[in-house]
Amino acid sequence: MSLSRRNFVIATSVAAGGSMVLSACSSGGGGNSGNGSHAGTTKYTGHVTVGTKEDSTGPAPEIPGARKGGNIIGIGPDDFSHLDPQRIYFAWNSTVANLYVRALTGYKIAMDGSMKLVGDLATDTGTMADGGKTWTFTLKDGLKWEDGSELTVEDVRHGIERGFASFTTEGAQYVQSALVGSSDFRSKYKGPFSNKHLDSIVTDKAKKTITLKLKVARPDLNFTLAMHSYGAVPVSHDTKDKYDKDPVSAGPYKIAQHSVDKSLKLVRNPHWDPATDAIRNAYPDSFTFQFGTESLPATDRLIAESGDDQYSVMAYSGVPAERLQKVLGDPQLKQRTINGLLSGLYYYAINCKRITDPKVRQALNHAWPLEQIRRIYGGQAAGDYATSIISPDILGYAHQDVYGKLQKPQGDPEKAKALLKEAGKLGQKIVYTYPKGSNDAYTKTAVVITNALKAAGFDPVVKPVDSTSYYDQVQQINNSFDVMWFGWSPDWPTGYTVMQPLFDGATIANGSNNVSQLNVSWVNDAIKKNAVIADPAKAGAAWEDLDKKIMTELAPIIPETFQRRFYLHGSKVGGALFDPLFSAFVMYKLYVKA
Amino acid sequence: MTTPASPSPAAALEVTEEDSAASAKPGNPKGTESRSPGRLAWTRFKRDRTGVISAFVVIFFFVVGIGAPLIAKIYGKDPYTTYGQNDPSLLNDFGFPVAPNGGMSGDFWFGIDPQLGRDVFTFLLYAIRNSLMIATATTVLVAFFGVVIGITAGYLGGKTDYVVGRIIDILLAFPQTLFFIGFFPVMLTILVAPDEATPTWLIVVSLITVMTAFGWAPIARLLRGEVLALREREFVEAAKVTGASPARIIFKELLPNLWTPILIQATLALPLYVTVEAGLAFLGVGLSDPTPDWGVMVQNASKYYQDDITYMLFPGVTMVIFVIAFNLLGDSVRDALDPKAGR
Repeated sequence: MSLSRRNFVIATSVAAGGSMVLSACSSGGGGNSGNGSHAGTTKYTGHVTVGTKEDSTGPAPEIPGARKGGNIIGIGPDDFSHLDPQRIYFAWNSTVANLYVRALTGYKIAMDGSMKLVGDLATDTGTMADGGKTWTFTLKDGLKWEDGSELTVEDVRHGIERGFASFTTEGAQYVQSALVGSSDFRSKYKGPFSNKHLDSIVTDKAKKTITLKLKVARPDLNFTLAMHSYGAVPVSHDTKDKYDKDPVSAGPYKIAQHSVDKSLKLVRNPHWDPATDAIRNAYPDSFTFQFGTESLPATDRLIAESGDDQYSVMAYSGVPAERLQKVLGDPQLKQRTINGLLSGLYYYAINCKRITDPKVRQALNHAWPLEQIRRIYGGQAAGDYATSIISPDILGYAHQDVYGKLQKPQGDPEKAKALLKEAGKLGQKIVYTYPKGSNDAYTKTAVVITNALKAAGFDPVVKPVDSTSYYDQVQQINNSFDVMWFGWSPDWPTGYTVMQPLFDGATIANGSNNVSQLNVSWVNDAIKKNAVIADPAKAGAAWEDLDKKIMTELAPIIPETFQRRFYLHGSKVGGALFDPLFSAFVMYKLYVKA
Repeated sequence: MTTPASPSPAAALEVTEEDSAASAKPGNPKGTESRSPGRLAWTRFKRDRTGVISAFVVIFFFVVGIGAPLIAKIYGKDPYTTYGQNDPSLLNDFGFPVAPNGGMSGDFWFGIDPQLGRDVFTFLLYAIRNSLMIATATTVLVAFFGVVIGITAGYLGGKTDYVVGRIIDILLAFPQTLFFIGFFPVMLTILVAPDEATPTWLIVVSLITVMTAFGWAPIARLLRGEVLALREREFVEAAKVTGASPARIIFKELLPNLWTPILIQATLALPLYVTVEAGLAFLGVGLSDPTPDWGVMVQNASKYYQDDITYMLFPGVTMVIFVIAFNLLGDSVRDALDPKAGR
């Protein structure tokens, strides 16, 4: 699906396993064209396992048949909005950050799509003590910045402390709030620029260790630290807010040239030592990103494949619904696709401040026409129906379908009407909004949604908002929308990164991701309680229970789809692999075929 | 929006002259019987085969547009129901019509549209209806304001003429399409409450208003020029000398001589507004999806033409036929009213 790159408000998505795309990648054997079937992956290979010290030791396993050299072109609709690691939170920025940012931990993706959390800068995924309140990491030997200077524990600490600075508000906030024990962490510490360091981070330069002493237990901190928001930044080369323009590389590539909104060129970083990196292969000599091509023209360019387009990939925008049939129906083209299921959830947030009666919210859930919506997105190929908040990739997921949506994906107007009648709200006005301009599909889904709501006894009003200001407007607490198109991708595969940002009443504010504005005390308490359960299996079960309870009793959202994306690459590109973390190509595994 | 082509500068100014010239033709068997200029033009028009055929095509479109609800009722479908979504056998899993040629069948004469599965035939009927309604209303208003302002400026002259002339200059130099794109959403946000749907009539009214606001200038400028030339002629002088009021001079002396350019301009303007309106819808201003419209259809179809060319064909071909027919009609009307400008 072509839901644009801002699909997910926050999308350093982790979870989802790779994809069953072997036949589609370089190894060849294209399947026959599906007669209406989507021919995509059906498996959520989801769970990330935690790797050992051996897994964390470089170099990354070679890809059979890969060769060095050449230039890979990434085509994308928009320039990366941030290059400063501490300001990176959106998935598409992470696609490029993978090439030059390194954090303590990272995800090692095998060519079959399975994922392991391993140490990236650290030798392993860290040692936890005090039930998750203390975490210690040791740095690898031979880590260098692009100018040849050594990457030290101070640089790692600097990267974490920069997250407190006044100019890094775009990044993730999990570690900062855990370190000071308050979500208002900027008032307690202003960042490292006044030469003051946090007491809660202890570094030992000789032993190369860094210890984080958290105020609250975070048993999954090793996952959190894999986010690019916690990437290392060199103390000596930090240009503060100007660092966003020209960050220093610790990875296999460094930024050579950047013309804003036009192109970005990365070339090899000679000081990167493959022996220190268990995650990244680095076959091409350079990467060139070209911006300004929307997904439909980008698809057409890759179908035509003239000239240098043979070496290009649709960097982070998928094949749109309009071309799915063409691409999947042609065996030649299908061979050049990769696909995968996202671990994020697309849903419709119901504004609980305006629609206060849970019965009305349940009626909306019953009435919603999932089947029609998905057909507009491209049918089965576009993904699976979502019936819960937590996606199959998340630890503890168990299938549930409170509203029987799998039996009646086209909506159940009778049941909705009955519920509305019971609530005495027949003819309830519903103001529905979606981002206009980014994707034509939403204009069409609005048509089927309107029809379904009318059939169920609602009075639908459609108010599209321009896509450039969409998030700003729906994230206002006093907005005038009842149902809002929205999406969320977890930052790592545990329930905490879904439930806390979306349903914790304490986070409600302008710009908050709790767009439903749900503020129920038992939900808030459960989130606090579940977050500190140290045993992953028990925590998973607790989140799953909470999911079911929220959906049954409160129905603050209408889950829509777990989406499947298809991406095209040129015929000279090898090593194509779907990146389940950021729903894009895994850039550092690509190579140019001879 | 481009400026309508101005008629040839040699357009007839005096019907009276022409009349006498025509009746004096030796080939006329009943030379003594006097015929009105309108009748003469009609005779000439009837002789023009292209013009007559175009006229029939144009009339057909108007009849179809006006009769759209009736036709849809007899045909038994409406443009809003998503038939393909309601009946899974019509659309395949990718949302494209299952049947060949865009899903054409006995039930759906022109097929169904991809993804939503609406009936293309009725959608097109209503699209023609909406487009023609907007274009006709705009043309009538543009002609009215153009005539009033143009004649006033030309007849009064002096300061009035100067001010009107400068306004026309500004309007003609204005980047209108950009203005529409920028101004339209802002205007709608101001006019519509944030939790109310934007009513279609408001969009239609604003479209007509905005297109009229920019459209009257070319006609006004043309007529001003014509009036400038006419008001110094002897018959106007004579009327003035006999003490005729300015109103009488304008309506009885000047206007009869101006019908030719007005009519020609109007016939050329109408197809122009059809395309302008469709173009705006295509660009995402003006009418938008659930409302049937030519531009909306072409915009939708442009995304699917690789897999479903039929869907592009119907709105595209009908629009081309209409615009060509109307332009040819405009040419014929000019030829009929203005034989001196012959080819």
